[in-house]
Amino acid sequence: MYALCGSGWGAGPVTTQPIQRVANAAQLLDWMRAVSERADREAFARLFAHFAPRLIAFFARGGLPRDSAEEVAQETMIAVWTKARLYNSAEAGVSTWIYTIARNARIDRLRREGRRSKLETEVAAEDDEGLEISGEDTLLALERDERVRAAVSGLPPEQAEVVRMSFFADKPHAEIARELGIPLGTVKSRLRLAMAKIRLAWEQEA
Amino acid sequence: MTAHRHPSEETLAAYAAGALGAGPRLVVKSHLGGCSGCVEHVRAFEAIGGALLESEPFEPAPSDLLARTWALIDASPPQREPPPPSRLAPEPFPGAPQWLRRCAIGPWRFVQPGLRIAMVTPPGETEASAMLMRVSAGRRMPKHTHDGVEFTQVLSGVFYDSTGRYLTGDYIEADDEVEHQPVADEAQDCICLAAIEGRLRLTSFAGRWAQSFLGF
Repeated sequence: MYALCGSGWGAGPVTTQPIQRVANAAQLLDWMRAVSERADREAFARLFAHFAPRLIAFFARGGLPRDSAEEVAQETMIAVWTKARLYNSAEAGVSTWIYTIARNARIDRLRREGRRSKLETEVAAEDDEGLEISGEDTLLALERDERVRAAVSGLPPEQAEVVRMSFFADKPHAEIARELGIPLGTVKSRLRLAMAKIRLAWEQEA
Repeated sequence: MTAHRHPSEETLAAYAAGALGAGPRLVVKSHLGGCSGCVEHVRAFEAIGGALLESEPFEPAPSDLLARTWALIDASPPQREPPPPSRLAPEPFPGAPQWLRRCAIGPWRFVQPGLRIAMVTPPGETEASAMLMRVSAGRRMPKHTHDGVEFTQVLSGVFYDSTGRYLTGDYIEADDEVEHQPVADEAQDCICLAAIEGRLRLTSFAGRWAQSFLGF
């Protein structure tokens, strides 16, 4: 069984920042399946309530102004609706899948802004074809995501910080070093340590 | 096809984070198309993204955002699925992978004897950000180094340089500390997909000429 209901991030080392979760992974999965299989609007509204605020924070952290962050969050949620049928619960947890859609929406946004002068507005979705999936079952994928989540939340603050900066803010390592006032080598070694822990959590069989 | 040389963990993480430029992203994607091990690594990094998204502070959305989102969803034509098959470009070389044919590929251009280059524009982009390099069997590339990092995936054939031997399916990353002069294996032409973050600096005379010609 997976111990993710209700307990949230409680397991493992003490987390250093309060984490707000209005839904656990199993609930998210139920909603996502309802959207995927039945185009359930109520379930989508619940996903929206959970993810839109986080997506806005995510895009704002990545350097988008507030109104753009809202727009891209909206674009992401629209893509969640239109691509819902492609969601495969054996492949990724709901948060992870929505993260990849958000990442691609940000790439598209930056691309559109880069060529705004050329009056291009089409939404060119990044296609992720070619990433073959293995036939693991949903429970394993859920547990794996949960292990990664626990590993990320259990990182020492200084490692969590560089992971967050390199992941969310798209910052080159040199810039992270400058901002934190630490040597580049330290940034790299903290990332390496963090990644090793997370990879271990990913690979470990339940 | 099992690759022996893979993108660095840092590069796979950057790919998962959406932090690579269009060209390097295409090169890494081309490697992922044939390497299930690297796909697994990318999956793990994407799960980090999911975990971080989940732990983002709750930034209240405007109260009408959901209603506006429904309006946009309902105003757009019914779900386009399956997506319209993208038109495929003609094969730039025999046996070229399918994903490559969804890119816009320019004509093969002569750079120097034994070396031809075609610019590649990934789907959705308006500018070429990667290139195909075709080195004739047994020929040398111009000697070069880079201001940034050069990302290369071997699509066909074999090449070697001072850092080793690279087979079809292998991936190579060379930074500004590497000055190399890749040589294609005698047996057949070597075709690579390459992209550069930063600028390529060709250090030989012919190379400098090619550089001004190709406008790197």
